[in-house]
Formats: sequence, structure tokens, C-alpha cells
Amino acid sequence: NSQIMILMESTLEQHLDDTMKNPAVVGVLCTDQQGHNLGCRGSLSDEHGGVVSVLAKQAAALTRDPTDSPTVCLESESGTILVRNHGTITVAVHKIAS
Amino acid sequence: MQTTAALTAGLERIPDQLGYLVISEDGVLASAGELENDEHTAAVMMQMVRTASRFSLSESSEVPFKRMSVILEDFAYVVTVSGQKVFVVKRQNNQQEPISV
Repeated sequence: NSQIMILMESTLEQHLDDTMKNPAVVGVLCTDQQGHNLGCRGSLSDEHGGVVSVLAKQAAALTRDPTDSPTVCLESESGTILVRNHGTITVAVHKIAS
Repeated sequence: MQTTAALTAGLERIPDQLGYLVISEDGVLASAGELENDEHTAAVMMQMVRTASRFSLSESSEVPFKRMSVILEDFAYVVTVSGQKVFVVKRQNNQQEPISV
């Protein structure tokens, strides 16, 4: 069982590394529904987990269609943060204009 | 009412606009179209603006976002904050730029 967990974790770490290879991406973060950090890179870190998971949860209240998963975009001087739920995890990506 | 008209004049002209809300801490100041009297959406948007305001990437005191969009399959909500008021516009989602994450 612990071997499976290690395998899953390394797959997530690989995905995070692959996401960071995109030159427009400067940060990536995965959290669970409680906002616990599952993995992150670059500009996004532990401290953003709570806000990211709460934003995704609040956005879900805007649609009655359970299959429609909203994407939240926060645009600022320092780029765009995209937040979206994928199943039980929330993914945030920080992009800059390229 | 003249003050309300001044708030919403710009919103009326936004292309693909399906409806809008102007919200303050005290409640909905103006609403129209598909968002007319939509207290639920207004309440969720106020919660989201408060949550998003806690997001900071640096130590600077700048406003954490200029614009917040919530993109759904068929439409999007676009939210800006100005002068203690939250402006929400519901727009047709014309899928002009795919979001790849």
C-alpha cells in the first residue's frame, strides 16, 4: 500500500515538473478539498492552499450542473492565477503573459 | 434614480452582456438581465471577492487582482471592484481563447 502511495506521489511530482516546463507558467499548486498542499512549484506555496481550495468551492455554487466545473481566473499586475477542481483535488496555475 | 443610472451606464454597453449586478457591503444596488434580483449569485460573488482579496503573491500592498473571471461551460462571470462596489457582468462564453493549464 505504501508503495502505491509513493508511486502516486512521484506521478504528481512529475506532473508538477512538466507543468513548470511551460515558459508562461511560473507557479503550480495542488490541494485537497481541505486546502492541504499536495504539491507545489515556483510562486505558489503552502500559504495559498486555503484560498485556492475555498475559491474553487465557492465557484461551484454558481452552477447547478455538477458536471460543469468552473475555472476561476484572477488577473493582476503579476499575471493570472487559474483555479479549477479536478475531481477531489484543486489545481492552481500561475501564468504570466508570454 | 440618477445615481444608479451612472453606475450601470457602462455595463449596459458591454458586448455579449447577458446581465449584471452592482453590489456593495449593504446589498445589491442594481441588477439587470439574467442577474436581475439574483441574490444567490450576488452573495457567492461577494464571498469570492473576499476570498480572492486574501490572495497575495508578494508582500506588496497592491490589490491582489484587477479582474476575476469565473468561466463556466456556456457563460462567464467577470468581476471587478471599484470604489467599494463590486461589479459583476454575466457574458456569453464565446470560447475565443482556450484555457490550457
